Amino acid sequence: MYWIRIIMALFVLVCLTSCAEKQQMKDSQLALIKATDPKPVVTDGKKGSEQAEDIKHDVSSFPEIYDVAVVKGKNGALVVYKVKHMQRFNMKKIESKVTKKLEGKYPKEKFTVSSDYKIFLEVVRLNEKMRAGTISNQNADKRFKEIVKMTEDMK
Amino acid sequence: MAGKKNTTPEQQQYQQLQQKHEKKRPVLKNCIKAFFIGGLICTIGQAISYFYIYFFNFTEQSVGNPTVATMVFLSMLLTGFGVYDRLGQFAGAGSAVPVTGFGNAVISAAIEHRTEGFVLGVGGNMFKLAGSVLLFGVFAAFVVALIKTLLGIWGGI
Repeated sequence: MYWIRIIMALFVLVCLTSCAEKQQMKDSQLALIKATDPKPVVTDGKKGSEQAEDIKHDVSSFPEIYDVAVVKGKNGALVVYKVKHMQRFNMKKIESKVTKKLEGKYPKEKFTVSSDYKIFLEVVRLNEKMRAGTISNQNADKRFKEIVKMTEDMK
Repeated sequence: MAGKKNTTPEQQQYQQLQQKHEKKRPVLKNCIKAFFIGGLICTIGQAISYFYIYFFNFTEQSVGNPTVATMVFLSMLLTGFGVYDRLGQFAGAGSAVPVTGFGNAVISAAIEHRTEGFVLGVGGNMFKLAGSVLLFGVFAAFVVALIKTLLGIWGGI
């Protein structure tokens, strides 16, 4: 009986806490657990936003992928995506397929491709800051380089 | 089974009687319990790894280390408080197979031999159960790394 009471008390506490959380949540708060589909961002002003849209469209066309984020910086583009659960056994294969397609279509662009959740989260955070206008283009490009470096450290 | 031929008819009759009255192991029920409790432990592990990814600078590749350390530490604490033992009785393999079972094996052996002193008792027997896990884990990792290295040298990967 004692345990049942504790479990019921915890259940009520969880319900009440979730009711209090009715305020609007940012995409980055849920980026790890649900599809956010962020719009592509360009750290270098408006230049290249159409290309970023095209890159996102091209990557989204892969059936194994379901959530794509693109950031286009001065010296290249960062493409991050989430892979469907049962396709996670083929992560390396998918990464090479995506890289090959992008490099074939945009030979002048330098691509960094990743499927890591942390990179995805950081891209969504950068995206939010840029849309809210809380970060300058210069700082955004600096952050973009930091994120790209993070992906290189993993290899 | 080996000695079945040498048993007398009375012994065989007794064995049959024993089998008739023997309580059957609830295998399916145990499996279901293990599945759900094991799944719950893994869900907690997943939540902890998301916590580290979200609030710290860990990537999906590097988050395994702090997550495993946290899970083992938590199971060690729960073993010390006597909670994990009850969970083990209820869930069986569901609580022993995840990495938390390792922490439980270390601390339960340490508690058991506490009366024999800190050096020869706790220190000497702490890895009595978990030692084989470490040995075969390290050995298996060595073999896998060796195979990967050889394949890399010969151009397989």
